[in-house]
Amino acid sequence: MTRKILTAALSALLLVGSYKSNASSHREAPLIADDPLADNTDLYAFRSPDNPNKINLIACYVPLQLAHGGPNYYSFGESIRYEIHIDNNIATAGDDIIYRFTFTKTNEDPTTFFNIRLGKQNQKETYKLELSKNGGSTFTTVVANGIVPPNNIGPRSIGSGAGLNTPDYNTLVNNAITTATTGERVFCGPSDDPFFVDLAGIFDLGDAPRTTAGSGTSKDGLKYMNVSTIALQIDISALQKTGKNVTQAANILDPEFVIGVWASASRQQVRTLNSNGTESYSGNWIQVSRLGMPLTNEAVIPIGKKDLWNALTPYQDLANLSTFGTYFYKPELALYMDNTFFGGAVPALAPLRVQRNSLQSFGFGNDQNGLFGLKGNAALNGTALSEANFGGLLLPAANSPRSVDLWPIFHTGVPNLKPYQLATGKAGNPLAEGKPFISNFLPNGGDMLRLNMAVPTTPRNDPKFSTLGLVNAAVLGLTDPLYNGNSNIQFIPNMDGFPNGRRLEDDVTTIELQAVGGVVLAAIGLWYDDYTAGGANPVTPNLLSVLTYNAGITKNDTTLKAAFPYVQAPWSGTGPASGIPVTYTQPAILSPTATTLGLVSPLFYMTTFPNPFSTTNTIKYRLDGTAHITIRLLDAKGSMMAKLIDVTQPAGIYSVTWNPGLINTGVYYIEAKRDGAYRQVIKVIKTNQ
Amino acid sequence: MRRKRHVQNGFKKLFALLFIAANATVVLGSSHREAPLIANDPLADNTDLYAFRSPDNPNTVTLIANYIPAELPGGGPNYNSFGTNIRYEVHIDNNTATAGDDIIYRFLFTKSNEDPTTFFNIRLGKQNLLTKYTCQRSIDGGVTFQTIVAAGVVPPPNIGPRSISGAAGLNTADYNTLITNSIATATSGEKIYCGPADDPFFVDLGGIFDLGDAPRQNSQIRDGLGRYNVHSICIQADISILQKDKKPVSQAANILDGSYVIGVWASASRPATRTLNSLGNPPADAGNWIQVSRLGMPLTNEAVVPIGRKDLWNALTPYQDLTNIATFGNYFYNPELALYMDDSQFGGAVPAFKGLRIQSKSLGAYDFRNGKNGLYGLKGNVALKGSALDDAIFGTLLLPAAGQPRSVDLWPIFHTGVPNLAPYQLATGKNFNPLAAGKPFINNFLPNGGDMLRLNMAVPVTSRTDANFSSEGLLAAAVLGLTNPAYNKNADLQFIPNMDGFPNGRRLEDDVTRIELQAVGGVVLAAIGLWFDDYNATDLLQSPVTNNLVNNLQYSTGVEKNDATFKTSFPYVATPWRGTSVN
Repeated sequence: MTRKILTAALSALLLVGSYKSNASSHREAPLIADDPLADNTDLYAFRSPDNPNKINLIACYVPLQLAHGGPNYYSFGESIRYEIHIDNNIATAGDDIIYRFTFTKTNEDPTTFFNIRLGKQNQKETYKLELSKNGGSTFTTVVANGIVPPNNIGPRSIGSGAGLNTPDYNTLVNNAITTATTGERVFCGPSDDPFFVDLAGIFDLGDAPRTTAGSGTSKDGLKYMNVSTIALQIDISALQKTGKNVTQAANILDPEFVIGVWASASRQQVRTLNSNGTESYSGNWIQVSRLGMPLTNEAVIPIGKKDLWNALTPYQDLANLSTFGTYFYKPELALYMDNTFFGGAVPALAPLRVQRNSLQSFGFGNDQNGLFGLKGNAALNGTALSEANFGGLLLPAANSPRSVDLWPIFHTGVPNLKPYQLATGKAGNPLAEGKPFISNFLPNGGDMLRLNMAVPTTPRNDPKFSTLGLVNAAVLGLTDPLYNGNSNIQFIPNMDGFPNGRRLEDDVTTIELQAVGGVVLAAIGLWYDDYTAGGANPVTPNLLSVLTYNAGITKNDTTLKAAFPYVQAPWSGTGPASGIPVTYTQPAILSPTATTLGLVSPLFYMTTFPNPFSTTNTIKYRLDGTAHITIRLLDAKGSMMAKLIDVTQPAGIYSVTWNPGLINTGVYYIEAKRDGAYRQVIKVIKTNQ
Repeated sequence: MRRKRHVQNGFKKLFALLFIAANATVVLGSSHREAPLIANDPLADNTDLYAFRSPDNPNTVTLIANYIPAELPGGGPNYNSFGTNIRYEVHIDNNTATAGDDIIYRFLFTKSNEDPTTFFNIRLGKQNLLTKYTCQRSIDGGVTFQTIVAAGVVPPPNIGPRSISGAAGLNTADYNTLITNSIATATSGEKIYCGPADDPFFVDLGGIFDLGDAPRQNSQIRDGLGRYNVHSICIQADISILQKDKKPVSQAANILDGSYVIGVWASASRPATRTLNSLGNPPADAGNWIQVSRLGMPLTNEAVVPIGRKDLWNALTPYQDLTNIATFGNYFYNPELALYMDDSQFGGAVPAFKGLRIQSKSLGAYDFRNGKNGLYGLKGNVALKGSALDDAIFGTLLLPAAGQPRSVDLWPIFHTGVPNLAPYQLATGKNFNPLAAGKPFINNFLPNGGDMLRLNMAVPVTSRTDANFSSEGLLAAAVLGLTNPAYNKNADLQFIPNMDGFPNGRRLEDDVTRIELQAVGGVVLAAIGLWFDDYNATDLLQSPVTNNLVNNLQYSTGVEKNDATFKTSFPYVATPWRGTSVN
């Protein structure tokens, strides 16, 4: 290995932006956790692998849906504005494009408690999609009556004649895909939750991957869970700020093709519960949930500020920097990757140790200054960190060590500018120029998912496709001879991955934890503490430890579709998601008993029917052998009214039907004697008609 | 020779097997996500209600109200707990002479963050979203309330070993210690527990709601609530606290003493208006309290009331049920589920229910299929004199009109309970006449007309280790009372195991889904002598234990017990599943 390759190798894996946390945005803040219908779970933005002129925006809502959660299955809520917002132009304030979805439910058969019966569907949902291209001043309806497919309840409800009689659930999904009047393809409906994470492990004080005795191995806490998905497929020209087609991009990192995407849910301010089991809404719309970068509000913002964060738009983030900035500059998670703090208390994160003495000069621990000591230094000239460029944002103050990596990837994206280039060609100076590999800079200061739409797609079946997204592109750009021969702009596989947008496959939990662990700093040459500046090999054990770390769950529990809407069909309510298997063998259903005489033979046995009776009554009796039989009708006081039978008979079954004539209604007794011995009395009741 | 002996005993019971139960019931699937609106408000969603005499402390009755369905044990970082600004209430009616509730237990919860700087729920001995409660009690119908637990503690979620037992967490050796430590004794004497628990209910949700596929015919049967938690409110009260005249159980006249019947229901209410605030500040709740969820009998609003009426049902109190009988009565008189147990309707479309076939010509005369008349033809008949169906007694309620066949079985068990009166007695001693007197086995009559769980607190407890203990509840008691020589010798009042089971109250173990489906299938009618169609009343030697009856008795959804073991003492519900232990 030449030294050059070595250097590359090491810087390899590194990356540029950073981020943090773990576990997307399911139940991430106290208030929204109690309002599941309005709870954003994940947001994705990626160029279509099968249709590279298109961008897919996928916003998921309603976390942790049980596939079998009937009889009222999960879906989008009414009286909620679900919105996907796009900023494509830093020169205009706020959103440039807004897609707003509102849903309506109807019952096709309100007389049943089943969701689907005989071709009718209850809680059947339709939606209206409105589009604003003027920052929300006006909206135009582009889908008037979109269909949300029913829940995937089970084969009887979906496939059988007693249900919808649809051969395959995916037919319902495909039929629900519609084209907006403005050209977008749209799908709103249930799907598998494409996210994957060991929720239980991570939130048990950061046990990811699981290391604690008795905790077993890591488990995908979202396995078998569904979400409600809004998917849009949009031509790049409809998203690019001047309407350009992707073929007009100057290069694959053309900054004119960067969009920022965020999603939200809003409710009207006042909800009034009525005494008749209905509710009504009024007032202004209040944002109750938002999502841009994954995991921001899940594992960066502490509990005391989560509800506030959900209420703000990204355009308010800069104004609230004094509240929220510190959670990025000095993230809580970094405390658990630093032996000066609680590193010893979280064994699962032991492979991740933040640089406290990089190049024997720079410390990025939460109590340190990072690169702030270089503030105003001529060495920063021409870099993104210079005051003339973005130094005011990126080096705001002392003791804000992660202002150069974690904060910008969440709030501005990263320009194709040193130091945010691959180490290839940097010759040991992290501030020098290197090989470009990202340009998703849109410095509005707000938490968004930022995608450069000009970056080509990586085929999902490419052997180099990786769930580590841009981290993997960096590794390739530094180590693969196909890409590390020069510092020219060149497409490297996975440059279209997180945090350049977010693909469904990207393992954002691992990537963000690695980033909090300092991998991005290392990528730009701020090596780990066990590298001595000027040394031959920066690929130290600390770096390898970070690069080989993962959070335990690295892929979704099912496949993705190869075409729009890409998310997989929702888990069936009767499938493996539907509970704990129980062993039971159903007994055979017996045919109705054929009427036959019993085998046991008492001396005498009598019955009478009907009872009560009005016009006629039948007495039926069985005799075991020849005997004298007397049957009398007695009134309630025991006085004889009539002698109905008085005869000697052989064994057999006999019946006699008699007419009560004009006797009064009331209680009577039928008394039988065999050879003079009392045998049986039956109480009977004479009634009117 | 058994038959001969029976004959000589005066036909006291010809048939073995009987099983019979006295009243009936309906449906399947408890009350998880049962109505459209409440399904979207999980914190206020009643899931199940239980009321049973305490097996280890028979001078007390235990009431358990569960809320928040299908809590994922690993559902962090903000784990489920009771909501603030919600009134969680357990209501007791013990006296039909007084209007409305006689006792109300009201629970109000508050949350606080001990360390707002972390996103973890528990860290370094501090707990966020720490939940505490106040329990107030009213014994004057809700006019005044007294605080009986001032600062009750809700245990934290059972997150995992690091959070509960680790030094970086709470450093508690065993989660059960947290439960035990949080059991409070009210100033008025009740034991109280509020906290997470394993969901004690068990049901194949996925199968049943896929158009009634229970037991599943073509796929693996599953307990859809296995490994999920709920939040439980548990109250253990001395019987003298609940009995209308403050009598201890020792003063009961007998084990079916009608003055020991209580009706129990639970609810959740929210203030009428919720105003969202800017900046993520907590919403401002104001206005009158509006009931958003209620639960008495299991499964009423899940599978009896159709979707178009579920939200309304949740908004009413049981005391409004009678005035709304024009709206809701028919769902009990002619239940939807019965359509699927009737070959003249949709019986053929629900193969899983094939073993359940409602009587269409019981005794050659009585038709209980939807839209038919049931026993209405006997209305006003002298034959009913002295029975519960007598207009002079309860006939106006129980035989309200033609075309309401299940007014005699399904409606009363949900709305009045069942008196110890003909025809609601075991067939033992009835001598072919379903309207005759038989062996008593239930008396939970409290005829206020509202959907409640009704428990006669005087009925002794069946030991959970008794060989005769059964999840079939009163159905099992009926079978024993008719077939077991220890109980079927005479028509005397006698304790039969499982007389303390559903629908006489509800024990945690009772398989109410199965019992109610069997009841919709007509087993209660059969129990009082209105046999299934394949019994030929003119064939005097045929046993009424026909194949149709056997099919009903053998019917099961396949999920017959909980996935966790109940505790043998208060609060009885099993320890909540640990987040890291399931998936």
